[in-house]
Amino acid sequence: MIEVQNLSKSFGKVKAVQGVSFSAADGQITGLLGPNGAGKSTTLRMLYTLLKPDSGFARVDGFDITTAALDVQSRIGVLSDAQGLYERLTARENIRYFGQLHDLNGAGLEKQIEQLITLLDMYSIANRRTDGFSTGERLKVAIARALVHDPRNVLLDEPTNGLDVASTRAMRQFILQLRDAGKCILLTSHIMQEVAALCDHIVIISKGTIAAQGTPDELIQKTGKSNLEDAFIEAIGSEEGLE
Amino acid sequence: MSKVWIILKKEVLDSLRDYRSWLTGLFWAVFGPLLIGGMLMLIGSSVREDIEKPVNLPVQNPGGAPNLIRFLERNDVIVEKAPADPEAAVKNGDVNVVLVIPEEYAEDFSSSQTATIQLIMDSSRQSALTDVSRIQDLLELYGNYVGLLRLIVRGVSPEVVQAVRVEQKDVATPQSRATFFISFLPYFIIFAIFNGAAPIITDTTAGERERRSLEPLLINPVPRRTFVIGKLLAAVPFSLASLAITLAGFGMVFNILPVEEYLGLRIGLNVFTLFLIFLICLPVVFFASAVQMVVASFARSTKEAGTYLPFIALIPSLPGLALAFFPVKPALWTMLIPTFGQQLLINQFMRLEPINISNAIISTTTTLLMSAAITFIAMKLYERERIVFRNS
Repeated sequence: MIEVQNLSKSFGKVKAVQGVSFSAADGQITGLLGPNGAGKSTTLRMLYTLLKPDSGFARVDGFDITTAALDVQSRIGVLSDAQGLYERLTARENIRYFGQLHDLNGAGLEKQIEQLITLLDMYSIANRRTDGFSTGERLKVAIARALVHDPRNVLLDEPTNGLDVASTRAMRQFILQLRDAGKCILLTSHIMQEVAALCDHIVIISKGTIAAQGTPDELIQKTGKSNLEDAFIEAIGSEEGLE
Repeated sequence: MSKVWIILKKEVLDSLRDYRSWLTGLFWAVFGPLLIGGMLMLIGSSVREDIEKPVNLPVQNPGGAPNLIRFLERNDVIVEKAPADPEAAVKNGDVNVVLVIPEEYAEDFSSSQTATIQLIMDSSRQSALTDVSRIQDLLELYGNYVGLLRLIVRGVSPEVVQAVRVEQKDVATPQSRATFFISFLPYFIIFAIFNGAAPIITDTTAGERERRSLEPLLINPVPRRTFVIGKLLAAVPFSLASLAITLAGFGMVFNILPVEEYLGLRIGLNVFTLFLIFLICLPVVFFASAVQMVVASFARSTKEAGTYLPFIALIPSLPGLALAFFPVKPALWTMLIPTFGQQLLINQFMRLEPINISNAIISTTTTLLMSAAITFIAMKLYERERIVFRNS
């Protein structure tokens, strides 16, 4: 459960995010949709505690992102834009390190790692050093280490960015699986079709503010358009970012 | 605390697998002992050469001056046959010096005229100068000796003609040059500490940012200060290894080579002293890691860090340089400067001077306090948003 109230963040004179409010429920996929530079990543970075909001607040499972950062961190799994791995460690060692940082250890941790390796079908690469992994293989390691502590909330920043068709499909399947497991999923995307295909709740963000939000049906109703694509353009007031 | 251990373990394993970087660090650890050892051997061989090695002297027409030749031979000169063209041979560097005895020498000599001999040499050739000056001295000595004999035969006291006698005392011996180099030894030890830590610090800070793993790492529920401490401590074993190897290297150099014979100076680097130097240097290990961590945290890439860190490692050499030119007594203020105090103490250990215990304590305490302060700065740097997002 993620609640965002009136969140704002500026970098110098650039107002990246201004007064953003929305909430993301458990067992649902919430999509932050908007053109590049709309403030999606900045919002997410505040939620995963690496940026401090200038004003407003946000809570993850009731824990405030500024005053209870460590509690928030242990309740979220994050696939950020930066997905660097330790190339001299094996895939398994990469995942284990993050598990240990989440206070997991021993048989419990190894079992959890084993489950993720099965889930993400990465047996063949689990004990290889990640140096030389393909984009898809790297992504699997990044996802596994982000979810090793079985977080209730999953934040994904442009999860299908740079993936080929097959990997994109696999990724979407995986996200749906997470939703069915009852997790609260918040993802960003600039691709309308992706958000339309996946999300239960859509938050359209443009120039740092929220243009519209609701279920796909609600959005179509609100804007009086016949399809989601037109609704999106109506909401942000331009065709930029449409792909 | 257990998180510190997890981070430390991971960074040490990761760094150990990066054997190229720590091997580079180790190279710097043996660099000092190799350099000073090599230099001592060079000086040692030149000291022995000067004393023992006879000079070869090609002489043209040695039969013209049998007494002079006998005199030279008595003074460790090996008289050889002169080359056909003496001037060309000297010019080419085939021989260092050639003595030419003209045909009229014998006649002039027996009639007590000034008999001229010629010494062919090349004053622009440094390597020949030792031989040349030794032959010159001997020839002058011979001239004076014969002159004195002639005065005595005529009943004149030799002191009449010698109003002033100059006695030269050259203090610039090869030994003093060696002592100059040895005053850099403490710095080489400090240098090894810095360079042992540098590759690990670079990889765990600037490297982490460069490979874009810092952002995911910092999302983990661990306070930033824990990351700083874990990463800092991960560099310590490498720095310690580098220190130990350098000390062992110097220990070998000074215990295998007959340094006392070369330098006329006792250098006390036995196992016990080496151990004491190791202890004295322990705070510097933390200091070096902390300083380099702060600097590397500013660097955007490992390449950028790689341009800053060697410069940082050179800074402690500045007091060492000053030390080589102007000897400083280990006063209180010198102990307050991290790395400088230790260098002075190492110097004292080496020269078998008594160590003032309070100096060692002050030096250790201030260095540890400074390290703590600098570590605190590193923690503050890691608290900032800028550590992950440069544009914010």
